Amino acid sequence: MSTRIPFSTIRLSRLVSAGAVSLLLAMVSASPVLARTLDTAYGEVEIEGEPQRVVTLYEGALDVSVAAGITPLAAVATRGGEGVASYLESDVPGIAIVGTARETNLEAVVAQSPDLILASPQLPQEQYAILSRIAPTLVPLTEETTAESWKDEARFFAKGLGKASQIEQRLEELERRAEAIAEHVSAQGSPGASLVRWMPQGPLVMSEQLFSTGLLAAAGFEVTDAGLVKGGRPHSDPLSLENLARIDNDWLFLATLNEEGEAALESARTSPAFSRLSAVENDRVVPVNGQLWTSATGPLAASAILDRIAEVTGAGTGD
Amino acid sequence: MPEPATDMVLLKAAGTPPRLLAKALFLAGLLLLACLASLLFGAGDVGPVRALTWLLGGGDDEAHFVISTLRAPRALIGLTVGMALGVSGALLQAVARNPLAEPGLLGVSAGSAFAVALILVMGASAATLRVGVAQIGALVGCLCVLGVARLRGVDGDPIRLVLAGAAFTGLLGALTSLLLLYDQRAADEIRFWVVGSLSGRRLDDLVAIAPGLLVAGVITLLIARPLASLALGERVATGLGHQPKLIRLLVIFSVALLVGSATAVAGPIAFVGLVVPYAARALAGPDIRRTLWLCLLLGPLMVITADIISRLLVAPSEMPLGVLTALCGAPVLVAVVRARRLPSL
Repeated sequence: MSTRIPFSTIRLSRLVSAGAVSLLLAMVSASPVLARTLDTAYGEVEIEGEPQRVVTLYEGALDVSVAAGITPLAAVATRGGEGVASYLESDVPGIAIVGTARETNLEAVVAQSPDLILASPQLPQEQYAILSRIAPTLVPLTEETTAESWKDEARFFAKGLGKASQIEQRLEELERRAEAIAEHVSAQGSPGASLVRWMPQGPLVMSEQLFSTGLLAAAGFEVTDAGLVKGGRPHSDPLSLENLARIDNDWLFLATLNEEGEAALESARTSPAFSRLSAVENDRVVPVNGQLWTSATGPLAASAILDRIAEVTGAGTGD
Repeated sequence: MPEPATDMVLLKAAGTPPRLLAKALFLAGLLLLACLASLLFGAGDVGPVRALTWLLGGGDDEAHFVISTLRAPRALIGLTVGMALGVSGALLQAVARNPLAEPGLLGVSAGSAFAVALILVMGASAATLRVGVAQIGALVGCLCVLGVARLRGVDGDPIRLVLAGAAFTGLLGALTSLLLLYDQRAADEIRFWVVGSLSGRRLDDLVAIAPGLLVAGVITLLIARPLASLALGERVATGLGHQPKLIRLLVIFSVALLVGSATAVAGPIAFVGLVVPYAARALAGPDIRRTLWLCLLLGPLMVITADIISRLLVAPSEMPLGVLTALCGAPVLVAVVRARRLPSL
């Protein structure tokens, strides 16, 4: 199946008054970037020039855009929040919010008159059919989410944005950064680590195949979900408090959805089953921001997560 | 029927025939076994043999921790929650004179859920939630239902009261959904609270709800007899010197206390309040003074048994208790509805 979208036709038909000026600008600045064809989840999409009015309907795409130096006009709210994830807030002041990860406000998207829409790999076909009539819509072809798939998504979005080389460079920097931390962490004997979300009746253990757990592994930790997460799911069912020993690693990363990480840690400590974990006794429990660690992806998020890992392991912020 | 005769009938019915006593003893034995099993079985590595060794004075540290800190409080909470839900169901069905009345219908569970949602939206976290919030929500929900019923002047009619409760439950449910739509994080947190569970609850929580349960218990003891006479008809009860309106009000107040307390500790647990009184009536007949005692045994029996199953089904994880009681309760409800003759009250 091949969906070729005549880029300029859409622009002309959609943008009447304000469009004329920006169209001219787009054509002028577009000249150095070649037309490119992307293999998306819904067939091939052809993009010409350098997009100016980008709308991201996926946190990962927002991250890549900002990292590539293109500030999107609109994005979706982060999981559990009303705006974009806090680590990106200062990069995109006043960005319009056009929905949540689950639901897009199509009228709000149209109002932005975008020339490129970047969407999540989970975007349903019906949504795609509508969005692709507003502007070329890029849906990454991710069969199964693994700890590494964010990199391919980043390259994919970067290609669409005409910034492939910038993002490639970013990814290489991140790899070097992770290796440097890993060297420091491995010196402590490849410590084990788990990422969980604490709940009073038992923790949700996060999959080894997440973006953030992948970064923990790259930074030298032996990450484990103790085989509790069933195929393809992001986290386990609430683990019985009797079985906490299964996640009793050297380090325990505690993701919280609200800002008060320390408060969440304090409340977890009131559970006797939690406070007898060796990671807790050794003070190696790290509260981390759930927006960043369990919802976001992308090079900037990776950088923020590596910062946190470096901070708690004493590997230095080393820039 | 002349009044003294009626009173004689009531008195006679109140006597405990030996067969009922035998049934109660049998149930008490079963409950004891369930409590023991609740200490012996779990989702973890401490199996029945290890647990038994520790109970008999031997054993290891892990068994000591798992049994004394995790399983014993859980059994105790299951016992309390089961009693509260069982008794509240019997009371409500008696006063509504409808075997399908459920404590949840009085706006009690919906009230707690709304209060919890509200406090989560205001920034609290499910992990730091205190039982008081759910309890107050339950009472407020129930008082609202009573208020609506009084406002319309229908508080004399139990069926209308239940209908007002159903309407109010719907309204509170809608408001809760609205709050949660508005706040993604709260929605994420509450989805684990709305399916009740006995896991990870503290004994402190039990202490916090004890006063409410005590008051409800005393009220229940006082109104059991008038309630039984009410079952013979409004006029009979009035003739015996009871005040039907006052009785109903007291019953509803104590139901709100019981369900509110249970919900505050364990979250909403479906169907126990519906199924347990039904089973009790099947064993002991319609007299509320007998069914109440059996409910005290049957309620915890159902909750604790369901809790044990919830630990074993999906080990090493646990299934939420509320899901399991609903799975067990639904077939019973269908059986009641399909029965040739609804057990009358």
